[in-house]
Formats: sequence, C-alpha cells, structure tokens
Amino acid sequence: MAGSAAVLEDSSLLSKLDRMLLPIERFCALLSGLAIFSLMFLAAYSVTARKFFGAPMMGYVDYIEAAMPIIAIMGVSYVQRDGTHIRMDMLVSALKGRMLWLFELISVVMILILIVALTYGAWEHFDRSFDCARPLCSRDSSIDVGLPIWPSKLVVPIAFAVLVLRLLLQTWGYGRALVLGLESPVAVPLNLTVAEQAMLEAKALEGAD
Amino acid sequence: MEPIEIGIWVSAGMLVFVVLGMRVAFAAAMAGFVGLVWLRWNGFDYDPDRFWKAVTISVKIAGLTPHSKVSAQVLSLIPVFIMIGYLAYYAKLTTALFEACKRWFAWVPGGLAVSTVFATAGFAAVSGASVATAAVFARIAIPEMLKIGYNKQFAAGVVAAGGTLASLIPPSAILVIYAIIVEQDVGKLLLAGFIPGAFSAIVYAALIIGIAMAWKNVGPPVTGYTWRQRFESIPPASPIFAVVIIIIFFVYNPFGDAWGTPTEGGAVGAFIVFLMALWKGMRWTQLREALLDTAKLTVMIFTIIWGVLIYVRFLGFAELPDAFASWITSLDMAPLTILICILLAYAVLGMFMDAIGMLLLTLPVVYPAVMALNGGENVLAADSAFGMSGQMCAIWFGILVVKMAEFCLITPPIGLNCFVVAGVRDDLTVQDVFKGVTPFFLADGVTIALLVAFPSIVLWLPSLVG
Amino acid sequence: TEWNVSVWGKRRAFTEHVEKLAELVSEKTGGEFTMNVSYGGLSKNRENLDGISIGAFEMAQFCAGYHADKNRVVTVLELPFLGVENLEQERAVSKAVYSHPAAADEMAQWNAKLLMTSPMPQYNLVGTGDPRMTLEDFKGMRVRATGGLGRAFEAVGAVPTSVTATEAYQAMESGVVDTVAFAQHAHLSFGTINQAEWWTANLNPGTVNCPVVVNIDAYESLSDKEREALDSSVEESLDHYLANYGELLKKWDAVLEEKGVKKVEIAPEVIEEFRAAAAAPARDAWIADMEAQGLPGQELYDLVVKTLADTKAGN
Ligand code: NA
Ligand code: NA
Repeated sequence: MAGSAAVLEDSSLLSKLDRMLLPIERFCALLSGLAIFSLMFLAAYSVTARKFFGAPMMGYVDYIEAAMPIIAIMGVSYVQRDGTHIRMDMLVSALKGRMLWLFELISVVMILILIVALTYGAWEHFDRSFDCARPLCSRDSSIDVGLPIWPSKLVVPIAFAVLVLRLLLQTWGYGRALVLGLESPVAVPLNLTVAEQAMLEAKALEGAD
Repeated sequence: MEPIEIGIWVSAGMLVFVVLGMRVAFAAAMAGFVGLVWLRWNGFDYDPDRFWKAVTISVKIAGLTPHSKVSAQVLSLIPVFIMIGYLAYYAKLTTALFEACKRWFAWVPGGLAVSTVFATAGFAAVSGASVATAAVFARIAIPEMLKIGYNKQFAAGVVAAGGTLASLIPPSAILVIYAIIVEQDVGKLLLAGFIPGAFSAIVYAALIIGIAMAWKNVGPPVTGYTWRQRFESIPPASPIFAVVIIIIFFVYNPFGDAWGTPTEGGAVGAFIVFLMALWKGMRWTQLREALLDTAKLTVMIFTIIWGVLIYVRFLGFAELPDAFASWITSLDMAPLTILICILLAYAVLGMFMDAIGMLLLTLPVVYPAVMALNGGENVLAADSAFGMSGQMCAIWFGILVVKMAEFCLITPPIGLNCFVVAGVRDDLTVQDVFKGVTPFFLADGVTIALLVAFPSIVLWLPSLVG
Repeated sequence: TEWNVSVWGKRRAFTEHVEKLAELVSEKTGGEFTMNVSYGGLSKNRENLDGISIGAFEMAQFCAGYHADKNRVVTVLELPFLGVENLEQERAVSKAVYSHPAAADEMAQWNAKLLMTSPMPQYNLVGTGDPRMTLEDFKGMRVRATGGLGRAFEAVGAVPTSVTATEAYQAMESGVVDTVAFAQHAHLSFGTINQAEWWTANLNPGTVNCPVVVNIDAYESLSDKEREALDSSVEESLDHYLANYGELLKKWDAVLEEKGVKKVEIAPEVIEEFRAAAAAPARDAWIADMEAQGLPGQELYDLVVKTLADTKAGN
C-alpha cells in the first residue's frame, strides 16, 4: 500500500491555489474509482449473460479497453498531490532544511518538464485519431464494435494537464521553501520517515473500521 | 556511440535519480524519454539542425505509450483485485475470518499464532496487497495473542510474516504485474502462486508449532470450542469462501468447463463482497472513500507501469536486453549458480526498494536473460538448462522473484511490513518486530531454497491445465 | 542505412517475407542497407501505423481489421466471401487495391507507403464441443474473429469477441470464446489447434488483410541503389513467403491427425445460405459507408472482383 504524506495549509495564495486544485483532482480520482466500480458490474453482467443466458455481450473487450485510461491515469495528479507515487526515500529522509528542498525542487522540475513533453505527445496521439471530417470524428476505431478511440485517448492529455498544474504548484512550494529556508512549507507533501508513514497509514485504516 | 552504450548510461542515470528520491515512475519515464532522444540524435550523428526532430519523434513515441499500454483488457485485473481488498475491509470480513480460524485451529501448540497465519492466508485469497494485510491483522490478532500471554515480539513477527502471503496466494497484484511485463498467461501465473503460498503458510505454521513445543511459554493452545461454535463461525466468513470458490471456478478450471477470465472471476467476487459490505452498513460516504482508496493505489501502480514501459520502449530501440542476455549466457558458470546470484541480488536490492518498483525496473532486462539462460522462450523441457519449458521457466522465475520481493518486506532495514506492524501497535518498536520476525525470515529462506530445488512445487498446478 | 522494422508475435510463416526482404536488401547492397526486425520491441501491433506516422521506425506490418477507421480503403479486402481461393489470388487482389490511388492517399495521411501484403489463407474456424454444421448452430457462438469477418459471423447471430491473437488460446481454454477464426499458421503458433476438437475445411468465410508499409520520408531518403534493392526484392520476398506457406499447408492434414482434430466439411447449401446472409449485406453496407465518406467504394469493390476474375482466368 502506498503511504501518503501530510500537506499543510495556510492562508497564503499558494495554499489557496493548492486547495482550489484539490477538488478537481479528487473529482478525477473519483472518476477513476467509479470506472473501476462500473468495470465490476460490466464483468459481472457479461459473465451472467454468457453463462446463464447464452447471450454474450457484444464489444465487452472494447468497452473495457476504452475505460482503462480513465481507471489508470485520470487520478494521476491526486496521487502526486500528497506524494503517494512511490519512491526510494533512504536519501531524502536523511536530509533537512534547504538541502532537502533543493533535492525536492530538482526532482519536481524534472518531472514537470517530462510531463509537459508527455502531455504534448499524448495530445498528438489523440489528434492522430481525431478528424471531424469523418463520421463521429473518428480516425481510429476499436476492433470489435468499431468504437471511436479518440475519447479514450483524450483522457490522457487532460489528466496530464491537471498534473502539470499540480507540478507547477509544487515547484513554487519547494522553491519558496528553498529561498525562505522554511521548516514546514505549505502545499507540498512533507517528507516523512517510513515509520511515520506506516503510522499514518495504520491510523487511516483504524479510522475506517 | 553504440546503442547499447547509450542504454547502459541511461539506465545508470535512472538508478541515480531513483536513489536521489525521484518518484520511481517518473524517473523511469524520464530515462526512457531522454534515452529515446539520445538514441535518435545519435542516429542523426549529433547534427544540431536535427536535434529538435529527434526530440519531436521521441516525445510522440513516449506520449503514445501511456494510452497504448494501459488500454489492455488483462490489466483490468489489477483494479478489480485491489477493490476486493478494500471492500472486504468494509464488509468486516477480516474479523470474521480470524474468529473462524481461531475456533478451528487454536487448539494446537502456538494455536493463536497458527490461526493468525491461516487467517492471513485466507484473507490473502481476497486481497492483493501484503502491507494492507499486515496492517489489518496487527489490530485484530496481536491483542488476542497478548491477552493469553504471548511474547509480544513473537506475536508481532507472526503478523508481519503472515502479511506477506497476500502476494503469492491469488489474487495478487504483483503477480499480475509480473505476467504483464513478461507477457505470460496471467491465469497460469496466479494458479502457480497458490501452492507456494499455501506451502509458505504451512512452513510458518510448522515453525510456530515447533517453537511453541520447545518453549512452553511462547504460545499456549486455546481449547474449549464446541463443534457447534466452530460451525457457527463459518457463515460470517463465508463471503471469503464464496470469493475463493468463484476465483477457483474462473481461474483454475477444475471441471474442464471454465466460467471465464480471471478478471471476470475477480469482478463477480468483488460484487459479492460489495453486497456483503452494503449489508454490513456501508453507505455512499464509505463507498466513496473505498473507491478513492482503490483509485489511488490503482493509479499509483499504473503510473509505474506506463512509466517503466516508456523506459522499456527505449530499451527495445537500444537492444540492451538482448545484450545483457547474451552476456549472462556467455558467463562461465552453471546456469543454476547464475540464477541464485540473481535471486541474491534481488534480496539485496529489496532491502532498499519497494517490491513493485524493484520488479518493474529490473525485469525488462533480467527476465530475457533468465529465459536465455534456460535456453530461450520456446525451449523444450528436454533441451533446457533448468529442466523445464520456456513457458514453465517464466512461471517458476516469476514465483521465485515475487517470493523474494515478499521476503524483503520483512528484512531490515526497510521491511515495510514490520514498519506497518510497529506503526499500528504503540507498545512495539520496529526493532521488536524485526526481532520477532527473525524465525520467519529463516523459514522463508528454507521455502525459497525448496522452490529452487524442487520446481515442481510451483509448476505442478499450472502444468495440469496444459 | 539501417531501418527498424516493427512486427509482432514471434517469427512465423506470417513474417517470413519481411525476414526475406531484410536478407535480400542487405545482400544486394553489400550490407549497406540493413533491416532490424523487431518482434514487439518497438510498438504494440495496433500502434504500428502511428509509429510509422511519427517516424519511430521505417517499416511495419499491421492488419486492417485492427482499426478500420485508420485504413478504410484496404478493408475492402476483408469483406466476407470475396471468393478468394488461394494465396496467389490473395496476393493479386491486394496488389491491385494497394496500387489504387485511394489506398495510397489514405496511407499517405499516415506518412506510409504500401509495400506488399502478407497473403493469408481463408480464416477457417477451430472450435470446441460439437461441430457447428448449420446456421442455427452459429447463433450465440462466441467467435474470435476481427474486422469484416467478425461482422459476417455477426450477421448470422454469432458474437464476435476480440481477444488479441496471443490471448486466443487462453480465451478458448477459459470459455470466453468457443471458436477461433485464424489462418492455419496462427492456429499452430498461437496454440488454438491444441484446444480444438474440429476445424472447418471449407467454410472459407474470408480473411484479414495485413499490409507491410514503409515510412515515406525514409523511403525517399534512400539512395537510388538502396531503393532499387528494396523495390526489386518485394516480389522475390512474396515468392518466398508463398513457397514457405505452401509447405505448411501440405503438412496441415498431418497436424490435424496428430492433434486429433476432426476435419469438418460444411454442406454447400449451408455455405450458400451463410454467404447470402453475410456477404451481400456486408458489401452493400461497406460500399454505402465508403461512398458517404467520399471514397470510391464501388470502384474498389469492382476492382477486387475484376482482378480476382482475371487471376482465376489466367490460371
Ligand atoms: Na492475494
Ligand atoms: Na527489506
């Protein structure tokens, strides 16, 4: 399971923007969760129809494949917000103060550059499958029922664009912490030791019981 | 420069960034992207005018990978398996399961600890994640063991070790990920995990009974449950059995007429657990939290998957896996010795890294090498180095590697399961848990040695299905 | 010059012309022009055309039915019951369509030039359970069939279920599908023949069309000598492909025998019924769809029919 860290808040503009972006990210992640939930019903329906009514569902695989980008990618920014994407924190957990913020800043800036590039690449991939001179704007279709693929391809640049906003805020957050030499900056996931993380996780589970 | 050299430089660079604390998924994707640019520009003889062309092509290759790679039906297994675990939690199945195991198995020496191992194994049959299993049972099982006078380090060790079973006994997210990376049959791999998982559980149980018999005060048996009480404990835990039976029907094909794919089995299982959770009082707020948690873990795993696959795409252009495979096969050592060295390297790496990240980063290069060592993807058992066909070797190595990764969850310094158990219990330090888990650490060593020495423990079940 | 070539699966009869082409161009240019054939390492098969368009690699193979909207024109070759009887005829009709300006135009939008086809025999069914001998038996049948073939089976009440070729074995084993339509080499290399209890020898419902394309920029930047080596090797590679596939077909009966698979002959009146239900409606729908999109659907279909007739007459 992924350990999430705490993100502090205050009345600064940065923290306000952080809290404005959060509902959007949560919504995206919830879409992801709902898509998984629908997958459960779809598969249960498909197997019942096939096994007990001898009427397998047309295009079942096509629909699942179309839903997978929502499931797999839509929540990517929500996960970045509180630092759930896994990493090896042997080194960073030993760092403190400006040194730590410098490492975090470098890391986030590089991710930002990467994701900006990938957003463009993912958009191009969408664009190649999209041509409104054709029926349903489709220039790429699925194998069984000929579903247009562009909507599912469009999910990726959208999710990445939200992630770009998140990374901009984190760049600002770490940059500010570096310049001002802050102890516990807002709007960035605070680095916890593995033990602290495990503690948080255990507490979270307790709350849910 | 030769493509292979670029491959090595970029891979080394990626490892540096991973050590520096960059998120694994993005470090891999960045390495892949930089590598693609470098390789392409190298192909253009570093002509400055064509640098942007190299970048554009690489951006487009990297940018299509996330969509291309996640749009696969087999991958839908992962979110479904993760969701079952979360729903089972809200359905309060864990407590019911522990109670049932207690009433049935606690009469043996070290009875409660043995019950805990079997309960974790049972929960493993619906949960895909080890750490979650350890966290849940740390709260249910440890207090009961302490109440009747168990050594607290030992009690903690039992739970930390029991948690690792979740990744071998299907459903297992990590086995699915392995199957996808190496392009092997998911159903067969899940099937192959079953006996080694059960085998590990039995080795743990035997070890506990032995310890309890040798040192009388470690774990007294709990007796006095009537048969009536035993049978009464089954219905509350029955959705777990229902899910297990359904998954058996879908994946294991016991009567020759299977019902469908593992994903469908998982989905039907999830549906049953969902109904159970509804009945136990789960409402929209809890469901939303469960869905968000499921989404979060799912997205985290998929981000590593597509990130690493961008890197793999680059490796494909750099031909590094081929080069590594031919280097490994040219070594003047017995294939089995090389395999053991590889497993030991995983043990060392696993001390410092998360299991999924470790497997995803290394398998693209290590897996083809192991296959080449055995004689290739399509080798027949008779012509192979390990005495098994290429497909069987893929399954065997997968189980070994996953068992290795699980082993690392209880080894210092970064044994995640131990941290989690210590985190749940305020009265336990991480050192306590590491101390208590030491015997299991040895048991796992024995298990892995046996799996290496007798591959049929792994391969018997999958070989039955052809 | 070194080209990267993206194909998928493993080396098999279906990729022999690509391997031969690589061998020939290298020979003819004294090793100056080489091709690196990658089996899945460079792209997923359904993204091969994207890869060509991007310039990720210089040559690739794909099948029209994977993504009809990417390659509407060549899907004419996947219409059911065209009446193609052997690989020579398949090669001839493909060549005719590939040379049509509409096909070249559409591929040019992907920066691709059609080089050659991968002629495939008719996609006959293997199945589990009792052989399906009548159209009534086809109702509710879960069949792995893509593209036009899938729609043909759909027309008689079957349910096309797309699993990728590599998943076909497991899908059959787990009961997700109960029949699989493949060419013979694929029944062998994807193991579906091992699950099968019967094979239809004469249903001949149609086939898929899998072109090999090259990136136009890469093609144009070849030296004259290299381009000449490539162009002159195409027919030779296809000859090799056909000869190699012919060997495989000769062994086919022995394979069936060895695996205990029953060879099923469907009654001609059942096939005629199937053709009537599937072929004409599929053709009319295809032509109407293409004409509505401004493509010469009728002309393409007539071209196929005429080329086929000419080839048969020539034999
Ligand atoms: Na499990
Ligand atoms: Na460890």
